[in-house]
Amino acid sequence: MSAESRGKFLVGGAIVASLLLVAAYLAAGGASYTPAKTQDPCKHRPWRNPQGITEIAQQFSLSALDGAACQLGVSRETLARALASSADRQRFMDRYGINEEKLAKAIRAGLLRAIDDAEDAGALSPLLAVPLRESIQQIPLDQAIELVRDARSLLENVQSFLGPASGFLEQFLPEGLVP
Amino acid sequence: MLADSSVVVLALPQIYRELGTSVAGVTWVLVSFNLVMALAAVPAAHIARRVGPGRAAAVGLAVFAGASLACGASSTLATLIAARCVQALGGAAAVTAVLELLPAAVGSERRAAVLWAGAGATGAALGPAIGGILTELVSWQSIFLLQVPVAIAAAVPILAVAKHEASTRVMETELRPSGRPHVLANLALAMVSAAIAAALFLLVLLLIEGWGLTPIGAAIVVTVMPLSALLGSRLGPRVPSARARAAAGAILVSGGLGGLALLPKAEVVLTVPPQILIGIGLSLVLSALTETALSGRAPQAIHGGWTISARHAGVVIGLLALTPIFTADIAKQRNDAIDAGTAVVLDSKVNPLLKIELASKIVDRMEGERGRVPTIGPAFDPLPTDPTDRAAVVELRSDLQDQLDRGATHAFSPSFLLGALLGLLALIPIGLARRMDL
Repeated sequence: MSAESRGKFLVGGAIVASLLLVAAYLAAGGASYTPAKTQDPCKHRPWRNPQGITEIAQQFSLSALDGAACQLGVSRETLARALASSADRQRFMDRYGINEEKLAKAIRAGLLRAIDDAEDAGALSPLLAVPLRESIQQIPLDQAIELVRDARSLLENVQSFLGPASGFLEQFLPEGLVP
Repeated sequence: MLADSSVVVLALPQIYRELGTSVAGVTWVLVSFNLVMALAAVPAAHIARRVGPGRAAAVGLAVFAGASLACGASSTLATLIAARCVQALGGAAAVTAVLELLPAAVGSERRAAVLWAGAGATGAALGPAIGGILTELVSWQSIFLLQVPVAIAAAVPILAVAKHEASTRVMETELRPSGRPHVLANLALAMVSAAIAAALFLLVLLLIEGWGLTPIGAAIVVTVMPLSALLGSRLGPRVPSARARAAAGAILVSGGLGGLALLPKAEVVLTVPPQILIGIGLSLVLSALTETALSGRAPQAIHGGWTISARHAGVVIGLLALTPIFTADIAKQRNDAIDAGTAVVLDSKVNPLLKIELASKIVDRMEGERGRVPTIGPAFDPLPTDPTDRAAVVELRSDLQDQLDRGATHAFSPSFLLGALLGLLALIPIGLARRMDL
């Protein structure tokens, strides 16, 4: 092989080796190996056929987070981390310039959206949804956050939460939610 | 000294943590050395010709040794960077002067140029592995402290030459005017050095900061590059055309960087094929371009100075261009990965109360990681005793780590791609150099 041919062979080999590597990694998913994109909290997420109180509570919390995050213009995930502790909450409020009143308003809006979603999914009777909405408008921030963190307390303690009307309203709860 | 730019790379994460600086700040430990080398190499070569290469090399080595000691004793980033600048001054004097001494030692200028070019390529490739082993087994300071006896050992034979020069005065031939530097070869050298800096610097950061490898683990992984460079150095002499070797080398470096930009999973083994291409490529391209820049040009020290200057300027350009992109990307990808991880936690089948506890622990780990991509495993300890909860938590941990790995790996992609582009740009001067008898 002449010197010139060896040179051409070397350059050709380099091109082929490089293209093969890039093509193999692209074919193996190299271009899509990225973190999953988070969803827009303002878009409705259908409930996953909830079974039992724990699952309904989970779906309720997620809907409430979506609703509150949509109001605040942050992702559901950012808000969830902010609600992990009071220190995280304070850091979040400082970072986004949000005061307690605005946060409470957003969380109440989120809980109202969760009630709507529960109603749409057939997990909550419309008759129970109405007084629940009324009650949520009145609750303080810490209690609202507790309800987002663990909606079971809301669903399990309907009696104490709704006061004298609860006995009447219990009959409208789905089977899994009857305390 | 030719390995110094790369030998520090594996120590950077430890320096970054111990001296409490940022990724951008710690980059200056590399940038300062390379910048001073780039600026001082040609003037140092002129001085070497005036005072005699033996004396210049001896003084250079002494300065290098003293500054290395100061680097090892540094307790702040500012003093470390200052010592690195002095170290580069000594290094520039010694490296260019040694090239002037080599032809007499090895018998011909051509052989001296080949040896010197080979030493540069080997040094660049071997540096990270040596640095990683020293950092883990001893400390980052040991990298600099070890350079002191090495520099002194190198100075011993040179002192004899320096004594001889002192008694005979500088030869007249050494003072003949130097010809113009080979602009295209040096330009290509700068571009390809920028790409190689990207490969070494970013791969090490990906392995240690992104995937959580120890420095010694990362050193073992990046040893693939010098081993492949050895293969490249055996391949080179079979192809007489320097232009073909340079072009093939630049293509291989770019192809390897392209592969690193498109890693399909956070697995060490997947970095091996790109490293093989980069190792072979850097050996071919650095030696071909350095030999071309020196070929038929005298005095060797001046033209060697130009190649040193071009190579280190390329490293500076590469680091300065890539660091802001990389630091912005890693911050963005870290947040995206954390969001994706939180989404995994929220959508998981884990008991809601356990989710709250996990969310809190995950946030704590993120806060404690100071800008790094967090290692999330410890947030899940101890695992729940209930078998159902345990299975759900184990699945969640795996999904969450996958999201973080994706974020860490993807954060490096744009910088690797830019490195690949720099390597391909080197093909322009290599192509143009055809008419200039490269």
